[in-house]
Amino acid sequence: MVETLVLGIGNTLCGDDGVGSYVVEELAKHALPPGAQVQDAGLPGWGLPTWLEGWKSVFLIDAVDMALPEGSWRSFRFVDERYLLQEEALSLHQADLACGLALAQELNLLPENLYIYGIQPANRTPGSSLSPVVRACIPELVTQIIQDLGKIE
Amino acid sequence: MDKRIDVHHVTRVEGHGNIVVEVSNGLLKECRFDVVETPRFFEAMLRGRSYQEASHITSRICGICATGHATASLRASENALGVELSRQTQLLRKLTFHGEILDSHVLHVYMLVAPDFLGVGSVIPLASSNPEVVLRALHMKKLAGDLCAVVTGRHTHPIAMTVGGFSHFPTADELKALRQRLVDCRIDVDATVDLGATLPWPNFERDTEYISLHKPDEYAFIDGEIMSSDGPTLPAERYKEVTNEFLVPHSSAKHTRHRRESYMVGALARFNNNFEQLHPRAKQAAEKLGIKPKVTNTYLNSAAQVVEIVHCVEDAIQIIDQLLEVGIHHEEPSPVTLKECNGVGVCEVPRGMLIHHYWIGADGKLTGANCIIPTNQNIANLESDMKALVPTIMHKEHKEMQLDLEMLVRAYDPCISCSVHVLKLESK
Repeated sequence: MVETLVLGIGNTLCGDDGVGSYVVEELAKHALPPGAQVQDAGLPGWGLPTWLEGWKSVFLIDAVDMALPEGSWRSFRFVDERYLLQEEALSLHQADLACGLALAQELNLLPENLYIYGIQPANRTPGSSLSPVVRACIPELVTQIIQDLGKIE
Repeated sequence: MDKRIDVHHVTRVEGHGNIVVEVSNGLLKECRFDVVETPRFFEAMLRGRSYQEASHITSRICGICATGHATASLRASENALGVELSRQTQLLRKLTFHGEILDSHVLHVYMLVAPDFLGVGSVIPLASSNPEVVLRALHMKKLAGDLCAVVTGRHTHPIAMTVGGFSHFPTADELKALRQRLVDCRIDVDATVDLGATLPWPNFERDTEYISLHKPDEYAFIDGEIMSSDGPTLPAERYKEVTNEFLVPHSSAKHTRHRRESYMVGALARFNNNFEQLHPRAKQAAEKLGIKPKVTNTYLNSAAQVVEIVHCVEDAIQIIDQLLEVGIHHEEPSPVTLKECNGVGVCEVPRGMLIHHYWIGADGKLTGANCIIPTNQNIANLESDMKALVPTIMHKEHKEMQLDLEMLVRAYDPCISCSVHVLKLESK
């Protein structure tokens, strides 16, 4: 059985920063491959390593500032693009995610396969709704994540 | 009716504070702890909102003490409206409260304080040099968060606690699983005490007034009278006679004072005032750590937190046993009869005494609110400590002196996480 965790990260009270939570909420309504689980970590901060601990594969879903058009998204392997996490303002809560990942790495708790699905935010101001352009990307992203879950070995 | 309409400067709990120390010709010229955050106006947000919403709004004052704020808020409304709580509600409230204290103390002791003592700049190099220490902390933190999630529906910002009771109840199986994890956690708790016993706590004695809640029959975290190490003990409703808030130009946080120029709240104040009510295993931990009341070294606030970690784990196990013995069951929240009223709710959150005071109209909407947060109560005392400490360390190298001061600020576990990042130290 494939053991993969899809983990949403973000603050739903901070506009598009909460997109990770909305994506996993949507995913949870779909049939997923056996062994795949969906959870919402919110803002795990230093606690991120214990969310990752014990999983062979993890997909992290988060708002990421990648200088792409608003509402576009891309996925990448953590090991391939690690340097990106050390850039300033990569994520809306860059310190939290970057620190959490760095701590997990030091503790050897990173899963064998760690993918990050980053969504370019449009609106970062306090408020509990997503901007339309970010909301619009969710169905496509959900479909892609389900496809990718099927490919994980 | 007495109405509190002052909404300024009260509820900042995350943000920025500056240490400003100036020594000139061997004399201390300037010694301040500046809080430069803007006010957040939570009390104004509460006006016009239903008493049922208040705990969910004020929970957002803090992402660490979310359960503490929610609990103080519920107790304020319940005391105002004359709502009595069932035994089960009281036990569940205490249980989740222990989870939050555990979570916060583990975070502070391991992630914020230990790196100073172990000679590393942050928790990341600590994970590299002492991975077992950091893993232990993370596992305890996870257990604490899971405890809160089982009882209140979420790790942070509880959703199942309501005025008069709960809207959701853990199952007996969930409680049994938690109990087992708490029992297993004793190994980590013992290791935490061992770690605390080896840390080279700085020597710095300055007696001050220690203020905490107090209950004769238990270590007070929720409700109780306000106890001062200088006496006397006052009912919570008379909190203003203790806090005496006042403004200073260099801080957007209000300062407080009681019988002296400042007082201290938090784990050390609780330890000093309520040692007798600690669990026996917590008392043993105190002995191992070499502390007994009255402790007057502020740095040992973190050691008192270690003692409370032991107490919370042991008391949580006992509470679960009591819940399982009676049988956890669904019950409706206690009924509420609306009337124009006001009430005070108090609890001991990780950083000290927290007070919520609400005025509720006959329609159930809040007409006024006053929240007094522990970090505010500690700032004046922190400054008094700094003024006493600096002359004893001014011979040290700039870097050492800075570290001593930063560690002093951290000892208070202030809920202004960035306070020491913008430290400015001038030695002339």
